[in-house]
Amino acid sequence: MPDETMVGSDAKGDCRVSLVPGKSLAIEVATEDPRLFERGIREVVEEALAKLGRIRATLSIADKGSLNYVIAARVEAAVRRAFPEIPAIAPKVRRRPSEKDAPRRSRLYAPGNNPRLLVGIELHGADCVLLDLEDSVPPAEKPAARVLVKHLLGAIDFPNEVWVRINPLSLGGADDVREIILARPHGVALPKAESKDDVVALSRELAKAEQAVGVPLGSTWIMPIVETAKGVLHAEEIAAADPRVTVVAFGAEDFTRDVGARRTLESLLFARSMIVAAAKAAAVQASDTVYADVDDEVGLAAEAKLARDLGFDGKGAIHPAQVPILHAAFTPSEKEMDEARKIVAAAEEAEARGIGAIAIGGKMIDRPVLERARRALRLADRLGGQRASQSIGGDGKEAR
Amino acid sequence: MKNALGREIPKTIGSRSVEAYAGAFAKKRSGFKAPQPQKSSVPGENKVLPSLEAAIEATGLKDGMTISFHHSFREGDRVINQVVDACARMGLKDLRLFPTALFGTHAKLVDHIKSGVVSRIEGSMNGPVGAYISQGGKLREPATLRSHGGRWRAIESGDVAIDVAFIAASQADAYGNANGINGRTPCGPITFCMVDAQYAKKSVVVTNELAPYPAYPLEIQQGWVDYVVVVDEVGDPEQIASGTLEMTKSPARLRIARLAADAVVASPYFKEGLSFQGGAGGVSLAATMYLAEAMEKARIVGGFVMGGGTRIMVEMLHKGLVRTILDGQAFDPIAVASLGVDPAHVIMNPGLYANYDSRGCATYMLDAAFLGATEVDLDFNVNVNTHSDGRLLHGIGGHQDVAAGAKMTVITAPSIRGRLPVILDRVTTVTTPGEVIDVIVTERGLAVNPKRGDLKECFLEAGLPVRDIAELKAEADGLVRPLGKPVFGDEVVAAIEWRDGTVIDVVRKVEGWQ
Repeated sequence: MPDETMVGSDAKGDCRVSLVPGKSLAIEVATEDPRLFERGIREVVEEALAKLGRIRATLSIADKGSLNYVIAARVEAAVRRAFPEIPAIAPKVRRRPSEKDAPRRSRLYAPGNNPRLLVGIELHGADCVLLDLEDSVPPAEKPAARVLVKHLLGAIDFPNEVWVRINPLSLGGADDVREIILARPHGVALPKAESKDDVVALSRELAKAEQAVGVPLGSTWIMPIVETAKGVLHAEEIAAADPRVTVVAFGAEDFTRDVGARRTLESLLFARSMIVAAAKAAAVQASDTVYADVDDEVGLAAEAKLARDLGFDGKGAIHPAQVPILHAAFTPSEKEMDEARKIVAAAEEAEARGIGAIAIGGKMIDRPVLERARRALRLADRLGGQRASQSIGGDGKEAR
Repeated sequence: MKNALGREIPKTIGSRSVEAYAGAFAKKRSGFKAPQPQKSSVPGENKVLPSLEAAIEATGLKDGMTISFHHSFREGDRVINQVVDACARMGLKDLRLFPTALFGTHAKLVDHIKSGVVSRIEGSMNGPVGAYISQGGKLREPATLRSHGGRWRAIESGDVAIDVAFIAASQADAYGNANGINGRTPCGPITFCMVDAQYAKKSVVVTNELAPYPAYPLEIQQGWVDYVVVVDEVGDPEQIASGTLEMTKSPARLRIARLAADAVVASPYFKEGLSFQGGAGGVSLAATMYLAEAMEKARIVGGFVMGGGTRIMVEMLHKGLVRTILDGQAFDPIAVASLGVDPAHVIMNPGLYANYDSRGCATYMLDAAFLGATEVDLDFNVNVNTHSDGRLLHGIGGHQDVAAGAKMTVITAPSIRGRLPVILDRVTTVTTPGEVIDVIVTERGLAVNPKRGDLKECFLEAGLPVRDIAELKAEADGLVRPLGKPVFGDEVVAAIEWRDGTVIDVVRKVEGWQ
């Protein structure tokens, strides 16, 4: 029964670990070049086992160029499959603090049980990486995926935000939360959010998990993904459901399927506008759906521009190559920045003089306009020097 | 003795006495080159012989002599095996092979080494032959590896005397004029062996297509050629694009390519007339493509692009993004086709390209170059010859020549391959010294050679992720170490020559592991 005891795969960058309980511990290592790799692999296996307790079993590992954290994850998953009572490893975590209104121009998805696509996902400059436990992971692989995502979160010092898309609570989402909270992602994305109750239930699970492992209460954010007819109609209560909600995302693929629509700009306009209005009414961000055709850069840029025009703060990406295009679309242009600087300067001057109304060249500036200007400046401030590195020749600045 | 890089080099290697590497441009020569053979000709001579055996017989090839070949058919070459097989059938022994490069298709040479037909090899060994000799396969003398320019120099200087040159050509005339551009199975330039033909005591053109006089372009000329043999097959042009020429799809590698191109764009060299080398390999190809996009956007017309010719270079030429291609060997069929028809697609021989002991190298005119690496180290030294397990797997190619010449040499390499870290404290073998390397680009960011503070400033200004090389190393090490390490014995398997003929490093036999 190899499926019962085996974790991982023979794919490049992965390893396969199987475990047969026995009287004492034995480790068998197979790797492409044992002279180079066996000692290191053995050491990583032993280190992971030591954290799990006294394991009596024969553990076999077949390596296909897997990194240390992948090996540790596969070992832990195999051990806990064989000995379900063994508690999960809590990795050491270096997580950079973020803020609720941090830029999230891009949220880059990566499949949670595929080391080949996970390795290096932090390197592509995405404002927000989303490690996926939901659609990209087959049901049988969910336990192993949770553990792998946890070890990735522990091993990598993400330069920006890192989130985890969990499964709906009815489909193992609570198990996802308990596992990944050990490695402190900035937040979790909740797929198929349809009501306030869905969000509140997740918030409770997060609170329980945070308390259980000593993470500050309320520190894990929520990104509800609205991707059904019901979800769109309840967008307002979803966005306002809980203080953890930071950004509301739109999922067009499921939405079009749910309502029987074809995917066109017009058919999605209502849902998009609902989500933007709901998010902004609740003073949180809105993030647009992914664009599935990786090779169509022009189409992606056009859709990103539309999303920006509608008021979205960012958009999903399914491939690293999409990230710079999104950043170009959602970064304020030099012209917008100049305008924002003028507005903020006028406001400061008005305040200094004790004048209530703000005007530039005789034109009155409303409060929301001032707020938007301030937001643009804060965003630009945060992005700092990172803009130019995202694409050749810094063309991103002129794209809008 | 220790050379200028602190590498331990024996005073003699096999029968040669060794001059240690002293610096990239330390060695200075003047005087005269080795003499070329001289022979008067009269009208009416017949050079066409019926078989390889007849030609071998006619050249007077004897045991212990040196035979040379070029590699422009790369993985598709059919001539080296045919010639050595013929030598074996004729009972010849103890031959020294002096190819420009060997590939996987030449794996059967291992049998000829075992049986004693071949006892010495000087030339790039890509794949099985290199693996065999570094695992204890016995050659009478250690191998010598040279760069493209270094090999040319070694012939002209008399360091290597060739007895018979066998020149594969897709087209030739009966009088010995030959080329790789025309015929049914063209492979692109065959000028690597121009110098072989001129200096060898005897030269044999081996072709599968006899054309009316004169066969052109005149890559190989009648005045250098003694005999012409027609065979069924000289090479398969489909296989010149072997392996390394696929455009990469890996996000990490595309990121490396993007950063490498961004580095050139951010440099002071990114201006009208930019000239650069675009190598083979998925990352170099992608970097060349990204750079082309940036040039188009910035409306910059490049001077020349150099390298093994590729489809991407030809497209740049057609779009008007560069004025000229300087092409030493074609890497795909589109480059081969372009060579025959476009006067701005210029055939370049390795002497023109990179001969250190000449009055000028084309590589010295390069602004920027993208080159690969198997390993790099904290001193920016690069290894392209040996695998981290000590096996000799690759030739030098133009790596040293281009790095030494280009104003800005950019090494593109992932920080990790499988479980292998690519950045080390010390490379297993030095192919190219850190002295001539300016930037190392990995998917984790760029490391700039400390002597190029000017470039570092440009990169920081442009917002590129500049990192300390030790920091990059530590980051990658954390993901894959610890790692086993080969222990080398004293026995030298191969000498790595710097392009000036001095020895920059040696490859030793692996004795054990720690």
